[in-house]
Amino acid sequence: MEQSKQLIGIKEYIAIVILMIGTKLSDDTPAILFEQIKNAGWMAPIINGIIAIIPIYLLMKVVGNYKDKSLAEVTDHLFGKFFGFIILFTLLVVAFCATIVDTAIYTDIIGTMYFTKTPTIIIYGILIVVCAYGARRGFEQIGSAAWTVFPYLQVSLLLALILSIREGNTAFLFPLFGPGPWEIAKESSLRLSIYADFFYLFLFFPLIKSKKDFIKGTWLGLVFIVLNIAIFMTCFVFLFDYKTIMQLSYPYHEVIRTISMGFLTNMETFFLPFWLIASFVRFSIYLYINALLIGHLFRIRHFEYLIPSLATLIVFLGLIPESPTFTIFNLKEKILLIATPLFFFLPVLMWVVAMFKGEFKHANKKKRK
Amino acid sequence: MQIRKNASKFTVFLFILLFLCGCWDQKEVEELAYVIAVGIDKAEDHENRVKISYLIANPEAGSTAEGGGSQEPPREIISFEADDFISSKNLANTVITKHVTYDLLRMIIVSEDFARDENFIRWIYDATKSMEIRRDIRLLVSKEDTATFLQNNKPVLETRPHEYFEKILDIGNEIGTTPPSELNTFFRITEADADLFLGIYGTTEKGEKKESDGDPDEITAGEFKYEGETNTTQFVGSAVFKEGKMIDTLTIEETRLSYLLNPTLKPGFFLGTFPDPFDDKYRIVTRIEANGPLKFDMKLNGGNKPSIHVKIPLLLEVMSNHSMTDYPKDAKKRKKLKESLKEDITRKFEDFVKKTQEEYKTEPFGWSLIARKQFGTIKAWENFDWMKTYPGMKIEVSVQLKLGKFGRQSDLPRLEEVRD
Repeated sequence: MEQSKQLIGIKEYIAIVILMIGTKLSDDTPAILFEQIKNAGWMAPIINGIIAIIPIYLLMKVVGNYKDKSLAEVTDHLFGKFFGFIILFTLLVVAFCATIVDTAIYTDIIGTMYFTKTPTIIIYGILIVVCAYGARRGFEQIGSAAWTVFPYLQVSLLLALILSIREGNTAFLFPLFGPGPWEIAKESSLRLSIYADFFYLFLFFPLIKSKKDFIKGTWLGLVFIVLNIAIFMTCFVFLFDYKTIMQLSYPYHEVIRTISMGFLTNMETFFLPFWLIASFVRFSIYLYINALLIGHLFRIRHFEYLIPSLATLIVFLGLIPESPTFTIFNLKEKILLIATPLFFFLPVLMWVVAMFKGEFKHANKKKRK
Repeated sequence: MQIRKNASKFTVFLFILLFLCGCWDQKEVEELAYVIAVGIDKAEDHENRVKISYLIANPEAGSTAEGGGSQEPPREIISFEADDFISSKNLANTVITKHVTYDLLRMIIVSEDFARDENFIRWIYDATKSMEIRRDIRLLVSKEDTATFLQNNKPVLETRPHEYFEKILDIGNEIGTTPPSELNTFFRITEADADLFLGIYGTTEKGEKKESDGDPDEITAGEFKYEGETNTTQFVGSAVFKEGKMIDTLTIEETRLSYLLNPTLKPGFFLGTFPDPFDDKYRIVTRIEANGPLKFDMKLNGGNKPSIHVKIPLLLEVMSNHSMTDYPKDAKKRKKLKESLKEDITRKFEDFVKKTQEEYKTEPFGWSLIARKQFGTIKAWENFDWMKTYPGMKIEVSVQLKLGKFGRQSDLPRLEEVRD
């Protein structure tokens, strides 16, 4: 068992982090933020990024205290078998719901923006089959795939950025504070869980080559993601102004439909494949996380075998909602609001428990010996 | 080894992409009818229906790759009544042999009659619903029915319709005879509810020439008189939209003024004429271009009446000298010319701004975007209510004129010497 453990290095890890969370800028996450915070929506990722430092830092303290223990094992260790099970089960439910909702959204994007005639089940099926295949290959494989495609994705994003800035107008950023500073702070911190994926990253702690790589990779990933999302959301405002942007379901896809490069007018066909690849990587990781948690909770050693059946379940659950553009948008918003306190207070709770149990002193003693 | 592994994985990814490029949405280029322009008119009897016209391009026509030298015409036009321009795609296929698609749609044409209708906005928003329609297409207003407009439009040289429209609208943009008029901008301005939107105004019918004092730029669509063997279509001036409804038209000159007053647009080189200060009989040909960005001084939040001061830096080149005045040697004459031009231009700007304040109650210059910078929150800005405050504002325009070249050969012989 120990021998087959797949370890990945820092660059693969960063690529995974960024593809997993940064891809959010291209779905309806910006729309959710713009909905309440209007033209100041671009501040939300920055504010949230700063707030997210607290839970991530505390988690690092706690999880980093143990060698070779993932978040799941640490939770069991800190809270005991019973409470540990409840907490991890909640995490699993949130992750599973998020996977269903997000895959449904991506299917909706592909269905409404690109392949209007293809039946939803086929799009959904292909998307999930590809991701399940990726997840089935294991964490190391996802990591190297992520690292391979990462530069291409960033270059395509950069190109989209340059083209849209050229056509945009900076005056749309004003009035700078949109609905008012207090409103911005409140509404964005309520949606802190756009970064909740960081929490799940700690499940991979023992799979990264060294503790240092993990810490460095996570922080670098956070900075990169905050910048990526904030810059892109600013760009959306530049191009559309706040009234229009509040009505767009998928701003990124409207952007690539609006920009053109010289005589190349229909640029969306160029950006679509890059975006698809990023989505594949993202959902492969999501599927892997789900399987990992189930494997831990129910003591299934070779949890990879669960992935195909999980994937099938996701497709059928994801197909249920009617007119997904609206229903899933609302569902996602609810999940975000529910997950926010979980993401913020659980690390705090874990840190406090670890303090009282004297875990940190324990570790220090060990080190001194 | 790692690289080879990665490369093979990447190939697998690419291979999987192949699945996504088709199946149900697979389209063969040969089997599509590309709509270049959609025309929308009011239906004759039904209030809640519209008349749709399609201009469909023949991709084979005029291309060098033409194999057997087909004699097919470059375009096809069809007009019919429908509920909207989305469902009309299927109706059109009762006549058109290929599958109608909006993939290459470049413009939406609306008749003036329909654009002035209250309900116009309901139909134009269909464009945001359809998957194929891009947001950077243009909005055109035709004086007559769009069906007539499209049928009368027979370009002599650029017979391929997409090429014709792209070229003529681009050139109009550059020389300032027509506004840029992107659909995206139309939606943005309508939703922001502060400025006016300018759409391209065109016609194929020759109207009555207005009696004016002879300034050839004070014309709008249908008023340009020309002869010869050419197309009947002209794109002249702009259609003014307020709150998603057309309210008026602008002449070429007014369109150019709004280019120069708009900080979000990049004006090109405009050729225009002004009265000669040394001889009333003649007019001076000038080439005007913006000489740097506009400078705004807005006082909106104070207790007093809100005021705006705009400084417009212009570079002007004198291209003709019919009064044969001695400019190179005589600095005083140059000064007089500059003063006179400056006065003329400032008056034009002021008159136009006044017109927007009194007639339209708001402006087509995008000034509200600059004004927004003075407000901290959206609420404060919405309470200020630009459309309500604009007519009462004190607006000053000052032109910073810089005289450039006096043509290729700057000096001319003195008339007295020639006629000696």
